[in-house]
Amino acid sequence: MRLPITVLTLALSLLPSSHAIFADEAYSVDYQHELLGLPQPQTTFFHRPRKDDKATLLYTLSDLGVLGAVHPGTGKVVWRQLLAGEAGEYNASSKGFLRPVEGESTVVSAVGGRVDSWDAMSGRERWGNLFAGTIKDLEVMETTSGDVKDILALYDEDGKGVLRLLKGESGNVKWEYHGEITDVPLQVSTNVEKIFVIALHGTTGAYNLKITELDPVTGKQISEHTLRSLSDVHSPEDVLLVGANSAAPIVAWTDKDFKNLKVNILGRSASITSLPLAEADGPITKVEIHAPHLIQSLPHFLVHSHSATSNRADVYHINPASGTIAKEYELPKLSGKGAISVSSQAANVYFTRLTEDECIVVSSASHGILGRWPMRFTGKDGALLHGASEVVQRTGDTYAVRSAVLTSNDDWLLIRNGAVDWTRPEGLSGAVAAAWAEIPESENLAKTLEAEAHSNPLSAYIHRVNRHAHDLQYLPAYLQALPKRLLTSIIGSGTASQSGVLARDSFGFNKLVIVATVRGRVYGLNAGNQGFVLWSSKAFDIPSNEKWDVKGIWVEQSKGIATIKGSKGESVTVHVVTGNVLETVAPGSDFIQSTVVVETPSGALFLPISLDGNLDEVPVDQAPKDNLVVQGKDGEIKGLKFDTKGPGASPVVLWTFQSGPGEKILNVVSRPPHDPVASIGKVLGDRTVLYKYLNPNVVLVTAVSEESSYVAFYLIDSVSGDVLYSVTHEGVDIQQPITSVLTENWLAYSLWSDILVTEATLPGSKGYQIIVSELFESAVPNDRGPLGPTVNSSSIEPSDIPNAEPALPYVISQTFLIPEAISHMSVSQTRQGITTRQLVCTLAGSNAIVGIPRHILDARRPVGRAPTPAEMEEGLIQYHPVIEFDPKMALTHKREVIGIKDVIATPAVLESTSLLFAYGIDVFGTRVAPSAAFDILGKSFNRLSLVATVLALWIGVFVLAPMTKRKQINERWATQ
Amino acid sequence: MAAPPPPPPQWVLDLNSPPAPKSKNSGIPDPPGFTGTSSGSKASFTALTATPFPNSAVRAPPTTREMDVLKLKKAWEVALAPVKQLPMTAIMMYMSGNSLQIFSIMMVVMAFKNPVVGLMATQQAFERFETEGTRPKLVLVKAVYVAMQILALALGVWKVNGMGLLPTTRSDWLAWETARDPLEVAIPAF
Repeated sequence: MRLPITVLTLALSLLPSSHAIFADEAYSVDYQHELLGLPQPQTTFFHRPRKDDKATLLYTLSDLGVLGAVHPGTGKVVWRQLLAGEAGEYNASSKGFLRPVEGESTVVSAVGGRVDSWDAMSGRERWGNLFAGTIKDLEVMETTSGDVKDILALYDEDGKGVLRLLKGESGNVKWEYHGEITDVPLQVSTNVEKIFVIALHGTTGAYNLKITELDPVTGKQISEHTLRSLSDVHSPEDVLLVGANSAAPIVAWTDKDFKNLKVNILGRSASITSLPLAEADGPITKVEIHAPHLIQSLPHFLVHSHSATSNRADVYHINPASGTIAKEYELPKLSGKGAISVSSQAANVYFTRLTEDECIVVSSASHGILGRWPMRFTGKDGALLHGASEVVQRTGDTYAVRSAVLTSNDDWLLIRNGAVDWTRPEGLSGAVAAAWAEIPESENLAKTLEAEAHSNPLSAYIHRVNRHAHDLQYLPAYLQALPKRLLTSIIGSGTASQSGVLARDSFGFNKLVIVATVRGRVYGLNAGNQGFVLWSSKAFDIPSNEKWDVKGIWVEQSKGIATIKGSKGESVTVHVVTGNVLETVAPGSDFIQSTVVVETPSGALFLPISLDGNLDEVPVDQAPKDNLVVQGKDGEIKGLKFDTKGPGASPVVLWTFQSGPGEKILNVVSRPPHDPVASIGKVLGDRTVLYKYLNPNVVLVTAVSEESSYVAFYLIDSVSGDVLYSVTHEGVDIQQPITSVLTENWLAYSLWSDILVTEATLPGSKGYQIIVSELFESAVPNDRGPLGPTVNSSSIEPSDIPNAEPALPYVISQTFLIPEAISHMSVSQTRQGITTRQLVCTLAGSNAIVGIPRHILDARRPVGRAPTPAEMEEGLIQYHPVIEFDPKMALTHKREVIGIKDVIATPAVLESTSLLFAYGIDVFGTRVAPSAAFDILGKSFNRLSLVATVLALWIGVFVLAPMTKRKQINERWATQ
Repeated sequence: MAAPPPPPPQWVLDLNSPPAPKSKNSGIPDPPGFTGTSSGSKASFTALTATPFPNSAVRAPPTTREMDVLKLKKAWEVALAPVKQLPMTAIMMYMSGNSLQIFSIMMVVMAFKNPVVGLMATQQAFERFETEGTRPKLVLVKAVYVAMQILALALGVWKVNGMGLLPTTRSDWLAWETARDPLEVAIPAF
């Protein structure tokens, strides 16, 4: 059995490794969910990207800081921009803003301290400007002239409100207005003649609203007054709405019990109009106000009040002349949750009300229903949360409406006249953890076989005969399906996963991926069927300003269940095929730092590890058999062993690794759990063997020093705690990503370093680097190192000599310069490890994932000379200091994947192939064959011509055989 | 009582009594050194070459001792025949290179096949020289023959080794070497 493997390994090393994805495999072996994140109510709208074209696009700035334009007809992303990328993690509490510039092909976004203007059609940036402080509000300054509209940006700069008017064409500041330091800047509003800055004035917890009126041309303060809201407004969230770009912008808030709505028309006076809120089936829980955002629209607004079980709405008109507010009509109470959205067309204002039963459109002017459509929902779509609508007046009195609605299932739907046009699984964005799961095999057969194995031979035989006799009933169906199967296998369109039945395939491509997202949802995807979302379940309700921090997913393949543990000890167990939540454990009080699956006498257990790196005392039968390596409170690495004491077993610290003074441990990586090695040595050109250092118990520790700007890597034996190898890199920017990976007998890491020119070393270099180190047992070929030919190895007692030194590996390293930062590294996995591994690197800068072939990253490439014939036989090429990320290396080819956090790999049944799954904001999956797909026929293989050739040969034989026979007889008998 | 069998057909008679060979004494004398008694061409040839006195008109048949000497000489030739091809084979093998090609593969196959077949047929090769008198001396000849065949075989082995097909290096036995089993296992938990 071993011989073919080596022969295969040898043969593989001769094969040209695949550098690129074949054109006929792109978009067929890989899949992507191009996601945006959950659309936010204030930053989602329809907008015309071309002034003279009626077609609109749907724009949104999501909770993950992704700005995107979606085609409303197809639901496909037209363009995307990740706004939160470079500034680090996007925080849900740092609100983003997105405003359309009416009548122009521009949308303006603001996140953090940045204001950007984008071309609405192409998504290209027109201008961007960065200011100190954080953005609090963004408005488009309407002008009466035809100039490019200017942008108002309100910043909170060290607690002080700063309003800037930015020029529409360049983003440069026209003027600045500085508010008072005691006020909390809230929003900005405008009615063309004046600009209103609304700030919260007072002490924490009880605010009055201070309204400052500014002159739009100069930015000088005209007047200021205060609205008394001390008892009602406790925080910025209590102010419901500050209308903008309206003939009569309003500011509105409610009293504490949702009894009255208080409204002030900005620019009028300090008078507050109190509007009663009618209850509907119990107390009101939430009030929303919808008002148009167009200056030419009628000054009407709608108050949407929700109670626990129903919702209703009132429409009010503002009389701009007198400054009074009057109720015009109301929308009746409807049970369940509903979403109301506003859209305006010139002066007309339309309200679209979506409930679970129907979709209605009303004009703000009168209560007459302009359009009514029954909702056709499948029932599993969830409650409607909020939406954006577009109402189009067709001929006469007919109207059409389409609304992009977010549901409580975190799906984004487009509902056109009551029917769902498309669904985007936006909840899948923001994945924090993922794991591969096998499709559970049919349990019956497994059980039967097990039963047969345990019973006596005779009864087992009878049972088997009976079973096979019983199976005969499926024979006709099998025979019927046979021609079809033959035909599909000849034509080559046979993709088993299309049939809709979830079953394993013989190549092992059909696998499931369990994905947990920041919003507390769990998804199940079918990797064999283009990443189709099989199910999604809500595991926990996570508040919108928090994130679900998943610490580990444990998939029990035999049972077909997956357990997901969060950082507060909460866990959820789901069935991998159906997504049914089987068990939920509520969050506890203690935080955990990680999880581990251990083998114990009573089976495998999924243990949490507390923040200080300790485990609780456990009963003896639940004590892990093996040692554990954990990280302590200050990042130190500890080796633990469970020591049995009486009825319980408690962890004992065997060793502790503390990095050097001033160093901080950044990251620890270990070899992947599935990391088989087919050949234990590397055959050199002269047929000698360099033995690989294959210790499974090693971890690679990355430690950085902030003061001295260096990074140190330590390779530690995780049983004994011995440092096997260490290396230090000077002049490293530790703010740049430092990633590392450890597999087989090699490790790789990437960093940004600036090596100064010194006389002693080679010429200096500056930039991103990738460093590869290969570990061998000995520097001498045909030598197995200090341990010699021993069969076993022990890290604690390396040899018979007491207190012997550990067997240190011989390390060969090589550094390569790379064009950009690698934000994450992982390595492909195959079933037996015969196929060479491929380093899979995520490039955040170019939104791509590249696979670097191993032979480029070989540390033994000859430097400064051409390889000798023996080295060429090994496949070594001359060292070149720069590895260019050739577009052919990109596993994502033309796709753009954004926000990728992690890439997980799993082997397929085919030895040549490894399945990859990348998650983060986007979800991307593909198959890689680092040594080319040597065990499967490609798509280009012409089965038809093969069959035709065989048939033609057959026919030829049938025709020629009698002819030859006759000729031979004639030769003997025929007379000349 | 059965009828007497019919007379055999003419062709049976012809077969049983072939026409007498042409009379040698048709006035033409035999060429010098021709012995009319011998009928096989091989024997005549042996006699011809073995005749010590070719000029004599009538030759005495060689004695058994003479025959043995002759047979032994012939046997030595047969025994040394393989080694005569060796330089030629060696040059061809050298020229054909160490790559795996149809020509070099055929060369190797022949380099192995010929000596092995020769070795198997050792007895047959010397059968015709075996007489009571030559038998003790033929043992040495056979030993030399076997040695020569082994030499030819060695050339084939040399060639195969040059092609890297002999498991003589460490890398050939790598597949049977296994990684060391670690006695302790540490599970990383971070």
